Amino acid sequence: MGERSGARLARTLTRLTAAALLVLGMAAAHAADIKIATVAPDGSRWMLEMRAGAAEVLAQTDGRVAMKFYPGGVMGSDAQVLRKIRIGQLQGGAFTAGGLGERYGALNLYGTPLLFHSLAEVDAVRAVLDPELAAGLERAGFVTFGFIEGGFANLLANEPIRSVEDMRRKKVWVPEGDPISFLAMEALGLSPAVLPVTDVLTGLQTGLIDIAFASPVAALVLQWHTKVKYITDIPVSYSMGIFAIDKNVFATLAAEDQRIVREVMARHIVALDREARDDNREAAEVLAKAGLQTVTVDAADLASWRNTLEGVWPRLRGRPDFDAAMFDRLLALLAEYRRTHPPATP
Amino acid sequence: MALASVRAIARRLAWVAACAALTAGCSSLIGGKAADTLAAAILNQDDPELVASGVPAYLLLVDGLIAQSPDSAPLLSAGAQLFALYGSRFAAPERAVALTAKARRYGERAICLVHDAACNWRGLDYERFVAELERVDDKDIGPLYSYAISWLSHLDATSEDWTAVGELPWVQAVLERALALDESYENGALHGYLGILNSLRPPALGGKPDVARAHFERAIELSGGRDLSIKVEYARRYARLVFDQELHDRLLTDVVDAPAETPLFTLFNVLAKQEAEELLATSKEYF
Repeated sequence: MGERSGARLARTLTRLTAAALLVLGMAAAHAADIKIATVAPDGSRWMLEMRAGAAEVLAQTDGRVAMKFYPGGVMGSDAQVLRKIRIGQLQGGAFTAGGLGERYGALNLYGTPLLFHSLAEVDAVRAVLDPELAAGLERAGFVTFGFIEGGFANLLANEPIRSVEDMRRKKVWVPEGDPISFLAMEALGLSPAVLPVTDVLTGLQTGLIDIAFASPVAALVLQWHTKVKYITDIPVSYSMGIFAIDKNVFATLAAEDQRIVREVMARHIVALDREARDDNREAAEVLAKAGLQTVTVDAADLASWRNTLEGVWPRLRGRPDFDAAMFDRLLALLAEYRRTHPPATP
Repeated sequence: MALASVRAIARRLAWVAACAALTAGCSSLIGGKAADTLAAAILNQDDPELVASGVPAYLLLVDGLIAQSPDSAPLLSAGAQLFALYGSRFAAPERAVALTAKARRYGERAICLVHDAACNWRGLDYERFVAELERVDDKDIGPLYSYAISWLSHLDATSEDWTAVGELPWVQAVLERALALDESYENGALHGYLGILNSLRPPALGGKPDVARAHFERAIELSGGRDLSIKVEYARRYARLVFDQELHDRLLTDVVDAPAETPLFTLFNVLAKQEAEELLATSKEYF
């Protein structure tokens, strides 16, 4: 009674899992117990989808493949989860592109600042490159079943930011462990302040930083909308989440079980990926309702930001963790898309 | 982490039993001893189904009384709490949205009647809203409390909506202000709600489990351990969030072993005990 449908669903799924275990798992212990860590809180849509997928996998493999989740970041940061996977304490995780980029640098490419002009461009590129990135990640030791959109980050600030000039003498946040954003800020002649995500709210409050960036959904969940007044509506950088399992563990599964895991989990991940776009659209409306004013950047100004940032690319290419070949593939796809989809003239 | 996936955060807002709503509601309705006896009969009831089918009659009654005396803050306050309680705890999800929306409107009208500035609170940005709350004094804690929990009940009912996630900090600010005015109000219920709100998000997403734990502990202390639903929420929210199975199982075993019959807490303790058994049954699998 009175339980919300989500909670009820979560509970039903848990029961399903339990029932499946009882019915199917009597014969033997699971051939494979795959322990997966994630920052997503239990009960979130992410976890509901993952648990639903796990229940399906368990049933379809007759109990041979069981996934166990550690939600809410209880296993630590991306780096800590990767370490635990290395020593066999965990077998998989849901990562940020940056977090897993430590193992396969090409995952960072979609997040190159101001690279994409629109979500349509993202879709065109991802349709071609996602499978290639997944294959590359697999060579690097992780099996993934697809990427999940986090969306474009926008600029958030207490004063309207319409130009690079507006950002001067302001402290601009750069996430910990994000060298590309750091280089980008430096290239724009700004003074970046490196902080972990969890310190941004306090940083905005105390004036340690003046400008942050986040997708609308992230801004709401992290409650940054309580500390900023303006949102600059430019696609600063594209983020995504990656659900991945240790390839060595995956390889121990029977071929048929591997096929089932891939098919089932991919289906749930595609669902999450699709929902993300609506989520960000709705979240942006909520930000506006909460009193945040939207600021737009002059097109000519934006073009000059992009030019400046492109000046950083040669330095990126020199980095050992930068996949220059894949970056060129991406640029070629973008160029092709822009050639065939010229922007409407005003 | 794909933050886009965390939409359901507010869905997890559960409902620490708002027993007091019934007491407050009924007293305002009929006044005096009869009301207290009736409220006690409901709160001491060990059959939740009976209550679920009986309370709607009082919702109709409170609607009628409010129509008759639209400027009565105590009546509006009681209406806000009754509709919030019924909408979030007993009604089917598809009806909960409308019921809790009414709760919220009553809650807003109640605080607006006793505190003029509150009539213009809707739509204020966070900073100004918090500054406004500072001006509410302790004589108005009743309507402030009704305002908070009726709003919270509506966010819970609409938790599929991003608006609910967006408004959480505002409601939390109201609860914090009420707590600053009187932390023991309604047997420590404010601490219970703040325990839940602070354990909705993991630390990586800005949650504060340590703050949540302190609130839950204090809520148990202030209720003298009589309110079993606080222990259930403590286990479900905090212990699961930080993966503390020992604490989780101990709290829930306490609830299962405790007698449900406690004056004015029986109804919600019966529900709490059912939930404790369900949570215990999935403990091994979760941890």
